Amino acid sequence: MATILVHIALLAYTAGAAVFLTWLVRPSPGLVRAGRMLLLVGVVVHFAAFGVSLGVAGAGLGVKAWKGGELFSLLAAVTVTGYLLLDFRYELPVAGAFVGPFTVAVMVPAHLVHSNARAIAPEVSHSIALFVHVGAAAIGTAVLALAFGLSVLYLASERQMKEKRPGRLFARLPSLDLLDRAGYRLAVWGFVFLSLAIATGSLVSREVTGSPFPLAPKEGFAVLAWALFASLIQARLVAGWRGRRVAMLVVAGFVLLIGTYVGLLSAAPALRGTAA
Amino acid sequence: MTLLCVGLSHKQAPIAVRERIAVPAEQVEGRLRQLKSLPGVREAMLVSTCNRIEIFAVADSRDAGEDVLETLGPVAAPHAVRRFEEEALRHLFRVTASLDSMVVGEAQILGQVKEAAAIAQQAGALGPELTKVLARATTAAKRVRTETEIARGAVSVSSIAVQLAHKLLGSLDGRTVLLLGAGEMAQIAARELRSQGAHELLVANRSPQQAEELAREVGGVPVSLAELPSLLERADVAICSTGAMEAVVTRELMARALKARRYRPIFLVDLTLPRNVEPSANELENVYVYDLDDLERVAVQNSDLRASQVAKAEEIVEQELKAFLLASRERTAVPVLARLRAHAESVARAEVEKTLASLQGLDEKQQKTVRAMASAIVNKLLHTPTSRLRTEAGRGPLGEATAALFGLEAEPEQPGEQASSEQAQAETAAEGAVLPLLRKR
Repeated sequence: MATILVHIALLAYTAGAAVFLTWLVRPSPGLVRAGRMLLLVGVVVHFAAFGVSLGVAGAGLGVKAWKGGELFSLLAAVTVTGYLLLDFRYELPVAGAFVGPFTVAVMVPAHLVHSNARAIAPEVSHSIALFVHVGAAAIGTAVLALAFGLSVLYLASERQMKEKRPGRLFARLPSLDLLDRAGYRLAVWGFVFLSLAIATGSLVSREVTGSPFPLAPKEGFAVLAWALFASLIQARLVAGWRGRRVAMLVVAGFVLLIGTYVGLLSAAPALRGTAA
Repeated sequence: MTLLCVGLSHKQAPIAVRERIAVPAEQVEGRLRQLKSLPGVREAMLVSTCNRIEIFAVADSRDAGEDVLETLGPVAAPHAVRRFEEEALRHLFRVTASLDSMVVGEAQILGQVKEAAAIAQQAGALGPELTKVLARATTAAKRVRTETEIARGAVSVSSIAVQLAHKLLGSLDGRTVLLLGAGEMAQIAARELRSQGAHELLVANRSPQQAEELAREVGGVPVSLAELPSLLERADVAICSTGAMEAVVTRELMARALKARRYRPIFLVDLTLPRNVEPSANELENVYVYDLDDLERVAVQNSDLRASQVAKAEEIVEQELKAFLLASRERTAVPVLARLRAHAESVARAEVEKTLASLQGLDEKQQKTVRAMASAIVNKLLHTPTSRLRTEAGRGPLGEATAALFGLEAEPEQPGEQASSEQAQAETAAEGAVLPLLRKR
């Protein structure tokens, strides 16, 4: 049942992505409405699938194993939710053209490629800290993925504005000010969730390994990304940094965060259990 | 006589060249007098806008073109275009109809051409020939505006500037706009920005009095140009059009202001020649400098003007041009015809009077009948030559042949006989004589 629901969600995401990409070529308000609706249907069905999965597992906090695919599926759902909220606030259909294909790109390998189940250490299988850690990490990553998307759009748009050669998509892009403000706000929220994820992650890690900050690529990348976002916020607040350099820092921070997931998937067996 | 056009526009020369040869408004009259004093130059008009520096002149021969070009200086020479007669005429029609504009269809050029004509008239450089040409060019331009949708699709340079301000800053609510100088386009842009929510409009000018007047006109606040560094810290958009011969906003000045404004982005629109904003200021982070050429590039890419509307406008210009040329050529026949008719009538009159003198006892009615008969003979005899000469419209040999056959000498032109510009305008409205301008070389 859950698998069927996920496939339906994937179909809706794919259709939504196609509609948003069509909008890039032939803009029309109808396409934007259709794209939003398809992504909304997809995310509702997707969360329903998670609900069914957790129900089958017996209880949310009693999960004994996890799959890499499920992790990315959760990330995709949270990212789409984040986008819909962002679009509701700022009206950013161009970000839909980024989020739609991104979601499909994450979902296809997550659900169509087989991945092995990985055991969760028994010490933490009922831990609230692990639940919060997973939730905060997923939300933080999704929010930072959106910040990354807006920053990429900012850099592209800013380049065109500086070089005075607006490309075909220039007219579809929102103002630089909006991209800058929205990107920065998302980076701040991403930083908050990332902090929470790191804090709860250290609790989980201490339970499993005895060390709150084991020397491993996953933790290393997470801390580096966190430090980068912290300095970004500091520079904005104190020195007034904005625009291009902030966008570049957000891109760099998100790349470091991706390193965390690479570290997670390739982590030593002893640490697998501590991960989401 | 020859109509010639010498000069360059945004199509031939980049802004860096145009700003070096731009003629400040206060120097135009002097330049026109200089042109008028050139050998063989009878009339002259100088169209000097941000996008073009072009001289339209009526001269005795094409040779005058080189002398006219020299007045633009050596910088202009490699870029300048020389046009003569029909080509020059077509160019003037297209310029006036905004088909040669940076932004096709914009409305300002018609006013600028009219203003150039007014200055030429004031300087005593505008004669009957240019006046007639201008009147027809204006008619063509008005037809283009009313009969096509060219203006609807067109975006003025100032509206492009406003669009870009939105692209950079999003909503203009609460934003501060700084207007430096009093250029017309800058005023329009400032008004547009104000109407779209800009909170504060600061008006700076060299003369405090002018700043106050302009501020009243555009609903802004007058400020002193001496406060420029602090004004650049406040403004979100600065529109520069001071008419100064050097950069007013330098890179260094902007760099200092940028720190003080905590890297808030600023949009600097430079709508004048020579440029008022140092182009290298664009290299600074969060500083966006757009000059006229940059705005043109954006306008070209943004323009959704339908090609069919431009084609329709070109067609109207061609129609008007052809009608003007035809009317001009037809009028070449008029002096010959007039002289032929005058000659025939004078011969007939003399013969009638001689005959009447020899025929005693004719009453008034009978005398009238004799005169009518003579007039009818003249008319019947001249009917075919008249219609042939009109059909030839000055393009064939009949005009000169008629003059030679009947010994019709042209009356010498009197120096004081040149019609005034107003008279010429009236003549043009009535399709007056304009042939020599276009035919004789």
